[in-house]
Amino acid sequence: MAYLELKNVNKSFGGVAAVHDFSLDIEKGSLVSFLGPSGCGKTTTLRMIAGFEQLDSGTILLDGNDIVPVPPNRRDIGMVFQAYALFPNMTVRENIAFGLRMKKTPKEDVEKRVDSVLDMVRLQDTGKRFPHQLSGGQQQRIALARALAVQPRVLLLDEPLSALDAEVRVVLRGEIRRIQSELAITTVYVTHDQEEALSISDKVVVMNKGLIEQVGTPEEIYRAPNTRFVATFIGTANQFPGQTSEKNKVICVNVELLTGSLKEFNAGQSVVVLVRPETIQVQVERPQQENCNIIPGVVETITFHGAVTRLGVNINGQRVVADITVANTQPVSLNQKLWLTFPPEACQVMAAEE
Amino acid sequence: MRALNKKVYPAGWQVATVGFFLFYMLVPIISTYVFSVATRWDRTILPEGYTLEFYKRAFEASYFTTTLRNSLVLSLATVLVSLLIIVPTVYWVHTRLGRAKPLLDILMILPFGIPTVVLALALVQVYNFAPLARSPFLLIGAVVVYSMPFMYRPVSNAIQAIDVHVLTEAGQSLGANVFQVLAKIIIPNILPGLLSGSLLVFATVFAEYTLTSLIVGARFKTFPLLLVEFTRINGNVAAAFSVISFTIAWLVSLLILWVGSKGQTEKVESIQAR
Ligand SMILES: Nc1ncnc2c1ncn2[C@@H]1O[C@H](COP(=O)(O)OP(=O)(O)O)[C@@H](O)[C@H]1O
Ligand SMILES: [Mg+2]
Repeated sequence: MAYLELKNVNKSFGGVAAVHDFSLDIEKGSLVSFLGPSGCGKTTTLRMIAGFEQLDSGTILLDGNDIVPVPPNRRDIGMVFQAYALFPNMTVRENIAFGLRMKKTPKEDVEKRVDSVLDMVRLQDTGKRFPHQLSGGQQQRIALARALAVQPRVLLLDEPLSALDAEVRVVLRGEIRRIQSELAITTVYVTHDQEEALSISDKVVVMNKGLIEQVGTPEEIYRAPNTRFVATFIGTANQFPGQTSEKNKVICVNVELLTGSLKEFNAGQSVVVLVRPETIQVQVERPQQENCNIIPGVVETITFHGAVTRLGVNINGQRVVADITVANTQPVSLNQKLWLTFPPEACQVMAAEE
Repeated sequence: MRALNKKVYPAGWQVATVGFFLFYMLVPIISTYVFSVATRWDRTILPEGYTLEFYKRAFEASYFTTTLRNSLVLSLATVLVSLLIIVPTVYWVHTRLGRAKPLLDILMILPFGIPTVVLALALVQVYNFAPLARSPFLLIGAVVVYSMPFMYRPVSNAIQAIDVHVLTEAGQSLGANVFQVLAKIIIPNILPGLLSGSLLVFATVFAEYTLTSLIVGARFKTFPLLLVEFTRINGNVAAAFSVISFTIAWLVSLLILWVGSKGQTEKVESIQAR
């Protein structure tokens, strides 16, 4: 039995479904992130776990107990908000001690505990300051320390890094993951940033329009997306609409593609083939390879991204993007004709919608 | 940059406006002060002589202490009742009932629209049974309504200025119930608003005449009632009463400000101690 279980949770606002039939098991000590575009229901789901939003139907079990009737202040669930939400009238220490004081913790224990969480977030020297005297990143660390001070059963974070600079974001997400695994605290992390979700999660829940699209490890989500939405929302994917034909072949509008097994599809079924740009190799001469997709094209755009260079290549009128690294290719120039190659395994085939 | 290098002189009309404003505001106050110590002041620009006689008569007036006490009781009770009604209501509306806010905003202008005399007579008619009829309790109820806008505005603005939702939820997720959130998080963060509301209500009620005279009259005589009585007997003594009334209102204001700023100085000191 999972530690935190959501079963068929539904919530709508004014007749519009915000979260629809949401069921999920979260293992004790794991970090699960909710990933999806803005408005897909991540915050609403998180707030139902916290108790700030009532469910229309469904249940939420924590350690086997239904927590839906429990008011938020008795759920023992910590929360970190995007806007930090530190109490402006209290010092850092007072902020962190707040939850402990509510629990009537003895004074010496409060002091010890405050010191220990300040240590954990590496901000030992800020105890006497007020929130407005700290940077955004520091404030969010304190908010995390404050939530952890009471040793909640579950920690919820709602886009905790979106108000911060890119650099701080990367550092802090690493810190959050480090602290989370040190404490082995069950954590739900909401974000719309795929890189963030992939880099820190044990499991990622991809959401779209109030529905779960896919649940899986970051690798599964990236390498084996279940739906076209997941494939395109996470990373970049070239899309080739077409029909299946015999012998692992898909006839697309502009090309014919060799794919993996098509057993699960009927012959002539409408499908979409997805190919990630980093799986495509680029050659100047036509390569002599068996059992591989080899497609000629003309370079239309070249965008430098640092580690990789992204090429936009026109194949029979369709724009395909391919990522190349300096190490494995000769220099490429605009309007150059070249050959794109990728193995059948790089093709992810899924049924076309409708 | 230009403003830094070049001294900017106010235009003539700006000086004139400010000057007129000060003149307009200060002349009545200054003349009241002067009148309260003037022996005779009808034939000359400045009084012919000065005396403290009128203050002596004011302080010696029968009812002086009673009316003063009644006024203080009335004003402080009104401030308290007003705080107890307004703060939870405004907090509730801001956190749970956002849609009701425009309605509340309009309701809170109503006391300005109803003539005080009408309000007083209506209340006397409706609450004509014991123990409310013509009692100080009815009076407190009436002045609470009458002075409500003065409490509502600053409190509402102060709550608007903080992120009530998020602060409330942060408090709750840390185990605080609604009362603890209100007492330990919300109120300390809107204290300046509460103080200015309290000051306005105190000053308004301390000088209130119409409601008091129509609802309780001589049963619960307040300072303004005594003052008005004396305008018919001796203008100079009435002026002395006015000055005393100003002074008390000022002292209480300073007291409220001092109490309120104590919390904040402690903050500053703890920062400096670092
Ligand atoms: N209090 C609310 N009242 C009305 N609609 C809401 C409320 N909260 C959220 N919604 C709607 O529910 C949907 C999901 O919102 P939310 O959970 O905040 O999405 P996310 O956090 O994924 O961006 C959105 O369409 C949003 O407009
Ligand atoms: Mg959100």
